[in-house]
Amino acid sequence: MDDDEAVTRALAGDLDAYEVLVTRYSAVAHRTASLLGAADEAEDVVQEAFVKAFRHLKGFRRGSSFRPWLLRIVANETHDLTRSRGRRSDLAVRLGREREPFGPEDPEDAAVGADGRTRLLEAVRALPDGEREAVVCRYFLQLSEAETAEVLGLRLGTVKSRTFRALRRLREEVGREHLA
Amino acid sequence: MSTSHDDDPIEPDALEARLRALGADLAVPVPPPADVARAVRARLEDGRAQDGRAQDGRAQDDRAQDDRAQDDRTRRPDRRRAVLRPSPRVAAAAVAALMAVLLGATPQGRAAVVSVLHFAGVEIHVGGTGPLPTGVPSPLPGERRVTLEEARRTARFHVAVPSALGEPADVRLADGGRVVTLLWPGVRLDEYDGTLGVVWRKELGEPWPEQVSAVAGWWIPRSHGVSYVPAGGGEPHEERVAGPTLIWQHRLVGLRLEGPDRAEAVRIALSVR
Repeated sequence: MDDDEAVTRALAGDLDAYEVLVTRYSAVAHRTASLLGAADEAEDVVQEAFVKAFRHLKGFRRGSSFRPWLLRIVANETHDLTRSRGRRSDLAVRLGREREPFGPEDPEDAAVGADGRTRLLEAVRALPDGEREAVVCRYFLQLSEAETAEVLGLRLGTVKSRTFRALRRLREEVGREHLA
Repeated sequence: MSTSHDDDPIEPDALEARLRALGADLAVPVPPPADVARAVRARLEDGRAQDGRAQDGRAQDDRAQDDRAQDDRTRRPDRRRAVLRPSPRVAAAAVAALMAVLLGATPQGRAAVVSVLHFAGVEIHVGGTGPLPTGVPSPLPGERRVTLEEARRTARFHVAVPSALGEPADVRLADGGRVVTLLWPGVRLDEYDGTLGVVWRKELGEPWPEQVSAVAGWWIPRSHGVSYVPAGGGEPHEERVAGPTLIWQHRLVGLRLEGPDRAEAVRIALSVR
């Protein structure tokens, strides 16, 4: 059953057909939620997104691609979550501290623990939110520019410029560390 | 330190390729898709059952769309109870969420990797420094002593009593009926309205909790820190050190049993009806 047929049947209330779509896109939905910041609450976010997607299925433009449409709902749910986390900043800080035990950096530890990937990941994490999300969508999720624009609710030009700025920043950052 | 890149100027394409490779390396927890599909389906069917019963013309469905899952639980517990989701499946989905939080856990040192296990309303952090001994356990938010009957009337879920233990010596109700604590001499059983939301957070150093297949749960064999995350969000409740604990799920209720050894805990858990 292809996406279009599954959507048609799901619109008619066929939950079996919708299960096909959920199964098909569950993994990418979880990756999207996790990497956009839902972290360990990704499961909740994804379930909620699938429930909402089903209820809003009439708003899906037939003939377009289901995946970015769904991932936009996932991204919006994730943003809602991180916003609500912002209100609980104490909790966020607590979690942050536990998961990121940034001690005073021991050079030897850094040498052992930090390879190029760790540094690059660090640099991605340090990007401004908008640029980081563009990088996450374009490279970590390997979405096209057009898909990224749809998922993040941005114009194509904005995706291009954010990606460009992010790459420039990462190049500077990683390059600088190479010299260090 | 690797020197493989040191001689290369970082070309734009190389950077993009490295980012893609990095993305592929990120271990993002993904539960089995079939379990996600079942859980979503259960919620959709649940919503339909609810809609069928809603004769007052209120836009149940629309309201639900705007609520977060947690609000769903806290405002309309009935909604969750309308469908008895098969707990082993939900448990399987939760267990599959064995996660290495890579974006969060960035090893600057060797000991920095912290893993999180999300299970039956419990979030377990493994590989941290382990619990800091803190003071006397403080009561949960709004905790008060009640009779078993009152707990059953007020709790947002079916309060189960393990037949292996009989009537509890003491019963506490907390956080607006979200948690019921049953106490026997040397035994504490917390029951909570929570399957996927985080109700308790536990901190423990390694080793990992042991999986207990008989009840599709987990046994935490050593003392660990545990803190309570209130229903309305907010700061986790003050951490206390808990002894070895069995956590599992019975229908839509999450349970944590503290006090007995593993064999006894499993025997008690199996007697919950």
